[in-house]
Formats: sequence, C-alpha cells, structure tokens
Amino acid sequence: MEVLKEKVEEEEEAERAERAEKMMRPMEVRKEDTTRTQEMLRDLERKLSEIEVSIPEKPSTFTKDAIDTSKLPLSYQSNTPKEEHLLQVADNFSRQYSHLCPDRVPLFLYPVNECNVPKFVSTTIRPTLMPYPELYNWDTCAQFVSDFLSAVPLPDPLKPMVKEEEKAPPKKYAVKPPRDLTSRFEREQEVKRQEGVKAEEEKRLKPGERLAEQESAKTDPLHGLRVHSWVLVLSGKREVPESFFIDPFTARSYSTQDDHFLGIESLWNHKNYWVNMQDCWNCCKDLVFDLGDPVRWEYLLLETDKPLLSLTEEEDDGTNDDDDAENLGKEDEDKSFDMPCSWVERIEISPEAFETRCPNGKKVIQYKRARLEKWAPYLNNNGLVCRLTTYEDLECTKILEIKEWFQNREDMLELKHINKVTGLNIDYFKPGHPQALRVHSYTSMQPEMDRVMEFYEKVRVDGLIKREETPRTMTEYYQGRPDLLSYRHVNFGPRIKKLALNSAESNPRPVVKITERFFRNPAKPADEDVAERVFLILDERIQLRYHCREDHLTASKREFLWRTEGDSKGNKIIMMPDMCLSFEVEPMEHTKKLLYQYEAMMKVKNEEKLARHQAWESELEVLEILKLREEEEEARALTISIYDTKRNEKSKEYREAMERMMHEEHLWQAEAQLDYLAPFLAQLPPGEKLTRWQAVRLKDECLSDFKQRLIDKANLIQAWFEKETQELQKQQQWYQENQVTLTPEDEDLYLSYCSQAMFRIRVLEQRLNRHKELAPLKYLALEEKLYKDPRLVELLKVFV
Amino acid sequence: MNRLYDMEPRVMDDEMLKLAVGEQGPRDEARQLAKQEGILFKDVLSLQLDFQNILRIDNLWQFENLRKLQLDNNIIEKIEGLENLTRLVWLDLSFNNIEAIEGLDTLVNLEDLSLFNNRISKIDSLDALVKLQVLSLGNNQIGNMMNIIYLRRFKDLRTLSLSGNPVAEAEDYRTFICAYLPDLVYLDFRRIDDHMKELAEMKHQCSVDELKHQESLMQAQLEDEQARWEELEGHKAAFVEHLNGPFLFDSMYAEDVEGSQLSHLPGVGELVQTYKDKFVIVCLNIFESGLKQQEKRKAELDTFMGCVQEAVQEKQEQGKHKIAKFEEKHLLTLSSIQDESELTNFEIKMAEHSEDITELVNVLVTLEMQLVEQLEETINMFERNIIDLVGLFVENVQSLMAQCRDLENHHHEKLLEIAISTREKIVKGELDEDLPDAVRPLFVDKDTIVNAVGASHDIHLLKIDNREDELVTRVNSWCAHLVDKIHKDEIMRNRRRMKEINQYVDHVQSELDRLECSDLLD
Repeated sequence: MEVLKEKVEEEEEAERAERAEKMMRPMEVRKEDTTRTQEMLRDLERKLSEIEVSIPEKPSTFTKDAIDTSKLPLSYQSNTPKEEHLLQVADNFSRQYSHLCPDRVPLFLYPVNECNVPKFVSTTIRPTLMPYPELYNWDTCAQFVSDFLSAVPLPDPLKPMVKEEEKAPPKKYAVKPPRDLTSRFEREQEVKRQEGVKAEEEKRLKPGERLAEQESAKTDPLHGLRVHSWVLVLSGKREVPESFFIDPFTARSYSTQDDHFLGIESLWNHKNYWVNMQDCWNCCKDLVFDLGDPVRWEYLLLETDKPLLSLTEEEDDGTNDDDDAENLGKEDEDKSFDMPCSWVERIEISPEAFETRCPNGKKVIQYKRARLEKWAPYLNNNGLVCRLTTYEDLECTKILEIKEWFQNREDMLELKHINKVTGLNIDYFKPGHPQALRVHSYTSMQPEMDRVMEFYEKVRVDGLIKREETPRTMTEYYQGRPDLLSYRHVNFGPRIKKLALNSAESNPRPVVKITERFFRNPAKPADEDVAERVFLILDERIQLRYHCREDHLTASKREFLWRTEGDSKGNKIIMMPDMCLSFEVEPMEHTKKLLYQYEAMMKVKNEEKLARHQAWESELEVLEILKLREEEEEARALTISIYDTKRNEKSKEYREAMERMMHEEHLWQAEAQLDYLAPFLAQLPPGEKLTRWQAVRLKDECLSDFKQRLIDKANLIQAWFEKETQELQKQQQWYQENQVTLTPEDEDLYLSYCSQAMFRIRVLEQRLNRHKELAPLKYLALEEKLYKDPRLVELLKVFV
Repeated sequence: MNRLYDMEPRVMDDEMLKLAVGEQGPRDEARQLAKQEGILFKDVLSLQLDFQNILRIDNLWQFENLRKLQLDNNIIEKIEGLENLTRLVWLDLSFNNIEAIEGLDTLVNLEDLSLFNNRISKIDSLDALVKLQVLSLGNNQIGNMMNIIYLRRFKDLRTLSLSGNPVAEAEDYRTFICAYLPDLVYLDFRRIDDHMKELAEMKHQCSVDELKHQESLMQAQLEDEQARWEELEGHKAAFVEHLNGPFLFDSMYAEDVEGSQLSHLPGVGELVQTYKDKFVIVCLNIFESGLKQQEKRKAELDTFMGCVQEAVQEKQEQGKHKIAKFEEKHLLTLSSIQDESELTNFEIKMAEHSEDITELVNVLVTLEMQLVEQLEETINMFERNIIDLVGLFVENVQSLMAQCRDLENHHHEKLLEIAISTREKIVKGELDEDLPDAVRPLFVDKDTIVNAVGASHDIHLLKIDNREDELVTRVNSWCAHLVDKIHKDEIMRNRRRMKEINQYVDHVQSELDRLECSDLLD
C-alpha cells in the first residue's frame, strides 16, 4: 500500500476552539486526513447544539510564536490523570500496531498542542452548536470553515508530525491544515446531526491530496505520498443517504468513490479512534465504512465499537460493556475506558467575526491559473465581496477574465464580468436598479458602441426586455405592451457633420430605417392587424405586412410610396393609385378606394413620426443610463439594512436618542422624588405624629437651610469670581513690569491667558447674576412646595 | 316641435343624404379624393341630419356601418326605418315629436340614446339595448315612477336624465332613482354624491330589497328553465329525448281510449302497472345506450377533427415556410433586376425569376394535392367508422324496441284473457264489482271487446313504431348530413387554398411585370 499516514478525524463534535489552536498540531503532523464520523450523541439536538465552528481570530495569527501559551487555560497546558491514562493506552496501541504492521506509517495518535503537551486527537474535538443557521447544515458550514481557514503548507508534505515526536517540536508544525480538519469536523458534525448518524467511521486517506494532485497530477513526484485530513460524513442520521467526504479547504463534498482520495490510514471522532485495516489499492472505492467491523477497522477504545456495528442504534455506549470481554485479549487496558472530555475551550464566534468570515475579512486562494479573493461584506467601500481572476498561463501573468461579485450595492450591481481578451464587460444587476437594468454588456461606456442592455421588463412601463446596439443599429425587444409591439430595429445613417460636436443630444444620427414588429392582436381581424412595418425613411416608403390568417399561407401586404413633387400640371398630388401597392389575401372593396388608402397612409405616416420619436427617446435613454451608471460607479454607495443596527447610522442615532431620553427621564424622576424634608424629619423621634408646632419649625428650618445654601452658593461663585479677577490683575501687573523683556512666545501666552481669564470672569459674572435673580424665586418655590407637602399641609393650613 | 311647423316637412331622399354625407365627410385633401370617387353610404360611420325638418325617417337602410346618427331637431313622430343600422352606438332623436319608444329592437350595440324633449309617456321597448350606458329622456311626459324600475335591467346604465317630466316633480324623485338604480353615476347632468346614495338607501331599502328578492327569484327560475332546456337539447342530440322515464308509455295511453277504459277491469290495474315498470326499464336502457353512443360519436368526431386540423396545420406551416423563403429571394431579385442596366442580363434575370415563381406554384400545389389525398383517405375512414357506429346504435335501439313490442304483445294477451273472462263473468252474471258505465258497452258481445283490446294494442304498437322510426331516421339523417358537410368543407377548403395560391402568384407575377413595364418605359 502506498498508505502514508493515518490521520483520524472525528467529525461529530469537533472542537472548534481547539482546532484553531491545538488541533492544529495534530493536523499538521498528519497532513493526511482521515475523517471519521461517529454518532454517539444521544439526541440529535444535543449534537446540533454542540456543533461549533472554528475560531475566527486564529487564522491570522497562526504562527507558533503568535500564540501566547501562558494565557491558555490550564487544560491546554497539562493532562488530567484520565488523559494520561488515555495516552498510555494510545501508546500501547501504537506500539502493538507498529509491531504488527511494521510497513505502515506510524499512527497519528497524540500530537502535541500549542503548549507542547501531547493530546489524544479525539479529545481535540468538542461538539458545539453555534447560533447561526448557516452553520446547521454541512454545506454552508463547510463553506464557512473553508473561508475561515487559510492553508499554510507543511514543512514536509509527506510527514505530518508523528506522535512520538510530539514533545519536541510541535510548534514548528503548527500549520493551518488543522483548522481545516476542524472545519471538516464541524461540517461533519452538522451533517451528522442532520443525519443522526450513529456509526462512526475512521478513514485514512493515503497521502494523496486532491489539491496537490490536481495542480500537477502528472508530474507530482509525491503522488500518493502526500497527507491530508478531511471530514467523513457517515450516512444514517439527518437524512444523509450515503457517506461522503468533505474537503475542508474547498468546502466541496466528494463521493467516497472519488479518485482524489487515495486511501485512509485512520479515522477519529470525539469518541474513538479507528485504524483502517483495509487495502487501499483501489483508492477509497472499496472501503467499507462500517466502523463496527473489527476486521476492517481496528478500534482504539472498546466502548465505542458496538454502536458502530449496529448502525441503526443511536446510543450504543451503554451496550458496549457486554462485549468488552471478547475484546479483552486484544486491548486489556481499553476495557471500559471512556474517552475523556475535550480539553479544548468552547468556540465562540461573535456575529462580527461570523460576518467577517475570513481572517481579517479577506482571503486569497490561488488555484491553477486562477485566483479567488474573498472579502467580508462592507469591507470594501465599493461592496466587492469576491473576485475570481483566471489566467492564461500557469505563472498567472496574463489575465483572461475577471469576475467580481458585489453585495449591498445601492445600484444593485451583483456581478461584474470582465473579459480581458475580448474587452467585453458584463454587469449583472439584481432587481431594483432605478432603470430596471438586469444585464449590461459593453466594451466601452461611450454611447453608440456595441452594447446589450437587458431589463426587468415587468418593472418597466414600456415593457422593454432587451436593447442591443451596434454603432449603426439599435434593436429593442418588448413584451407585454398594450400596443403589442414586440420588436423595433433602427438603422442609423452616418452622422451629418454640423457645428455641434459629437453630442448625440444636439445632433442625433439620421434614422435610415425603422422596422417594427407586433404580436397578433386577437381583437382585430388578421387583415387589419399589422405584423411588421418597415419605415424606409430616406426612400419615403413604408411597407406593412399583416398577420397571416389562421387558415392561410399568405399574409396581406401593403406598401406606401409618396411623392412630394407635383404632377405634370404642377398640382399637388394627394393620392394616386400607384402610391399604394397592396396584396390582399381576400380583396375587399373598400380598401380599393383612394380615400381609404389615403387615410391609411396618413395614419401610418403619423406612426412613422412616432416611431422616429421613440427611437430618439431610446437613444436619449441610453445616454441617460450610461451617465447614471458612471455616477453610480463613482458614488459606490452601499445600502444598509434597517435591521443592521450596527451599520445603520440612522437607526443607531435614533436608538441612542431614545436611550438618552430614557436616561434623562430617569434622572428627572429621581430628582422629583427628592425629599426636602427628609433630613429634618430624621431629627424628630420616628413614628410620632407631627404637632403643629413641630411642623412650623420643620418648615422654617427647611427654608432657612435652603436660604443658607443659596447664600453659600452665591458666595462660592463670588469667591471664584474674585479669585479669577485677582489672578488676572496679577498677571497684568507682571506683564507690565516685564513687558520689555518678554519674548513673543511669552507674550502670546500671556495674551491667550488674558482672553481665557476674561472669558471665565465673564461666565462667573453671568452665573452670579443669574443666581441672584433666581435665588428668591427658588426660595419661594420651595416654600410653596412645603406648604403643599402632604405631611405638612394639614398643620400649616392656618397660616396660609 | 311646434316651432318648425311653419316650414314644409322634408323627405329624407337620396339627395339630402348625399349632401349630408358629402358635407360631413373627410376634410381638406381627403375631401377632394372623396369627391373624386364618391362615398358609398355603407362606408359612412357618422351622419348628422339635424334641423332638416324631417317628418319621417327613411332611406337609411344602406348605412350598414353607421355608428353615430343625429336626427335631433326635426319633426319626427315615429321611430322607424332604423332596423338595418345594427352597428349604431350613438343615436340622437332629441327635440322631435316622438310619442312612443319603438323600432329599436335591432340596435343591440346602442350605448347612447337621447330622446330628450319628445312626447314620450312610458319607458319600454328598450329590451334589446343591453349595452345602454347613457339614456336621456328629459322633457317628456313620463308620469309614473314605476317606469324607473324598468331601467333596472340595463346593467351598464350610468347616466340618466329625466328632468322636465312629471315624475321629476315628485318629492322623493332623486332618492327613488338612486335607490332603484344604484349603479347610476349621473342623474340629470349631476353626479350623484355619496350622501345622496346613503339617503336613498335608507329611505327605500325595504322596497328595494323586496324587489331584489323577486328579481332573484325570477332569475333563478329562468336559470332553471334554461338548464332544463339545455338538458333536453342534449338528449335530443343523442336522439333519445323523453326516453328517460315513462313518457313514451304515457303517450301510448294518452290517445288510447279503450285502453284506459279497460284498465278499470278487475286485475288490469295491476297488470298495467307491472307492464309499465318493465316498459320503463327498457326505455331507460335505450336512453342510456343513446347517451353512451352519443359520447362515442362525439369522441370519434373530435379525434377526426383534431387529426384533420393537425394535418392541415402541418402543410400550412410548410407552405408558409416556402413562401417566406421565396419572399426573401423575391425582394432581392426584384431590386437586383431593377438595378440591372444590361438588357440581356435583365431578360435572363426576369426569366430566372419567372421560373422561380413557377416552381413556387408547383411546390405549393403539390403540398395542397398531398393534403387533399391524405384528407380524402382520412375522411373516408371516418365516414366508415361513423356509419358503423350509427348502425350499431340503431341495431341496439331496434332490439330494445323489439323488447318493448314483446312486452306489449304479452300485455295484450293477458289483457285479452282478462277481458274475455270478464265478459264471460258478465254473461254469467257472476261479476261482483260494478263496472263504470263507459266500459259496459264494450262487453256487449265478444267481438266488441276483442276489437277494443285489439285497437288499444294497435295504438300502442303504432306509438312504439313511430318512436323507433323517428329515432332511426334522425340519427341516419344526422350521419348523412355530417358526412356530407365534411366533404363539402374539405372541397371548400381546397378551393380556398387554390384560390389563395393563385392570387398570391398573380400578385408576385404582376410585381415582376410591372418592373418590366417600367423598365421598358425608361
């Protein structure tokens, strides 16, 4: 076998937090992934709730040095006794394994984490449920994880870190792949939750990585040697019909038959670890993912076996004990040993981080001859969220085409497709553009060039679907008009040189020919329902073709030619028989009349005027749209949902204003409740009824106290005022004394001090005056209030 | 009205009409053309004949397409001579001396009718004017408020004027009209406001509701009748009407005096009853098989029509395609011939194009001939099948009718037996019951009673035979008629198509010829 390494991933309950930080190690080490799905969860919901997504912050800081291990929780830095026990079990298992299968790559069992502590891979997974509906199903979750992670190549594409080496250099290997693994886990978890898969499987992939293979499939000397880890989703729960793989980097799902996956070494989830004992000569196509089959999948811990065997049972944990005896011979230590809880912290993803998705909101993925860039919404001020650039050559120097996706654009631009070879630009719009634009393809924003505009015709009053332009023609397609016009084609002649420059508004191109087509109007007889009319404007000719009757082969035609010159006698010709040539399917008497023909001709001449006017209006509209588009491109305004309370300035202001009002009201209420009498009442013996004498005293005391306070306040202001004045005088004195020796800076300083001091003095003066004015009023107000106080009112009545 | 009586009444003659048409016809340049060519009365859409002192409406029968006719301010006394003007939308007869509304029964398209300032005292004879929207009856002599109710049948009526009539003097005139004509928008040139509507509704709700109830009852009755009529028509189309019950049996006894007399004999009542039950069951059999056969024939016909339609459509598409292709080439060739200066080239091109035209004719005619052959075969097949179906049906009916006859014969024998035994009893004086006086004479002697029973039997058989004959004759004639029609239609279709092809080719050829002429002239 070409099997390189075995990596097991547990999918079910991935621990996102860890992955971000600790899982990475293990992952790096392996490089190959094996995914395993276990459904050990009792209820789907629980699992669901446990699903987690990887941490956003980490990706950006993924060098070993960047992680401050001292701040990590204790569980990261040490092993619990149970974990130690597990490590011993794993070590034993690994030794037996290498003894029995000396040819195979050592198992990826307990890589070191960021704190250089060896951790069993299964314990790095912690199922978590995230509060985002997008993370509930595997596809969108996988998408998120793939966005969230960025790949950093391993130092050695063939070797992930081996367990044995954990202790020494784990940090070096810390790479991003682990995150990927976690992401897969997450996806798997989601899927599993969905499926409610019970059985978990371990898979080991041979080192062949899909991505690597794709890029240089034929020339890759490492083909079959590369390692990778990915997610396996087992069938059974949440309506998953059959098992499949998810690649965490691309978020794509693959059949287990896919050629890109060359083999599987091992498989793990948060409950157990399985080693693949099947031959991978035919990639993964012949693998059987029945993890309960001990011949095909060698398990590490005993308990979890049974559940796997019986795919239909959800919770097999309990039942395992019975069978332990059989397996004792193999792995005595494992007997009745439970997988310890995950040591990883719970993953928290803030809404901001979730929206940002990629590290720093930005991600670049390089493909063979293509580059994909992603941004978080609102990160770019033009609303750009995604750009795909394809290149002609492998070195990515010659751009073939660029596709840019936008979000939240005010002009509803959704996708911009630029073909660098042909120079063709195609803009796609979502419904809601002010001109109902749907697609706009053009090579130049100059008018009268090749361009196609498509519209949301239901929004447009004139029912225009599409307008195609070439330098000399304009073709419009309509739908749903009351006049049943379906098509208008205008041929322009060369512009006649005039004084005005190339502005189409002042000097429209002459119209040579207008062709209009109509749908059948069932209300009219076919012979009177025009199907097509052609205005040959230069020839002064109008051709009409009518609709074909239902049971006929031929349609009526009529052609009008008019001559403006007079006849031989110089009389003006009104109508001559040869000015109207018609072919009628069923000749009618009244249509032979010159009068009828004359009237028809007049009518159709009016229609020609109208058609020309409409053609002119269409030209104007094109100019208008082009102008609007230019403005929109420059403005790059983005829309903000009214539900987006963080970005929506208006709603934010409103909310803040509301809060402020609430706050003020609260203050006011507090003030209103201030009890002036409280301090004085407190001096009286409690619980006794006031006597009138006491009440009067109370009132007087209160008032005199208030008076004193007013006077104190006035004095205080006075004191400040005097202090400031003195200070100013002092400064002035000093200035006059030293005026001669002062530097300009000092002088400036002095002058600014003076102006400030004057300001302060003025304010103090105002406050003093105001206080003097208001103090008697305040005093009276308090007195009045006291008279009305419910506690005193009865007793003071006499005096009022 | 009176003011015009000092002038001689005028007759609506051709001269007057021509003058009016000429004056009111097209203007400016078009008038010149119109003069040159003359205008046919049937092309006129609008005619104004006011202040002409016309006494009698006449000579308007040629104006088939007239939409608007103004005959106001004349001295017309009777509405007449408008029967042919079925397309009329707008009719103005105001300021005349009309006393009764009449002669409008063919004007089904009329929307606007003005009879202002006449001598009308009763609103009626407007039933045909289902599209009526505007009715002007002001300054007349309508005195009875009940005339308003007559107007309820015009669902589109929005504008009404009745001022100047005796009714308009009534106190609740406006509210009454608003209540009984709730869809009215303008009354006497004024918009009816919501306030008025509410008022009217309050005032007259009771009586209006009662009227509505009656109307809805009438409506339901009408619909009921309609439904029954339609059902009967369906049965007639299946040739088995009145066979879904005891109708035939009843009709047998309806003209059978002796039979009904004999039924008074003891035991005959029961006998007749059982006979009737059996007979009705057979009739129902006939009826059901008739409906089933009708379905079958209809399905057969539909399939046939569909197939024919499809075949014709296909050929038509092919023909259209050929013509479209030809037309493209034709236009190009014409312009290239026109531009050709070399005479020899010109002639060559002309000849080539003539050949093209001939070829087009060939192609089109070939297509048509193919279609004719195909259709002929199909039609013959259909004819055989439909005749078979009809034959089958007739056979079935005949066998069922034979059952009827058997029943009758059986019944006859039984009846005869009873009659004879009764007679014997009478002779012996053993009869217990009293016989009705009318029956007694039959038992005078044996021959009489046998004859009576025989006569009853004959009448019954005759009825059965007649019904059978009627059914068979009708179904056969229907079949013959259908087949005949299909053949005729096919022939007509073929002729139309050939005519169309010829016409088109002539047109194309003439275009070419014209080119030749003009070229030669140049």
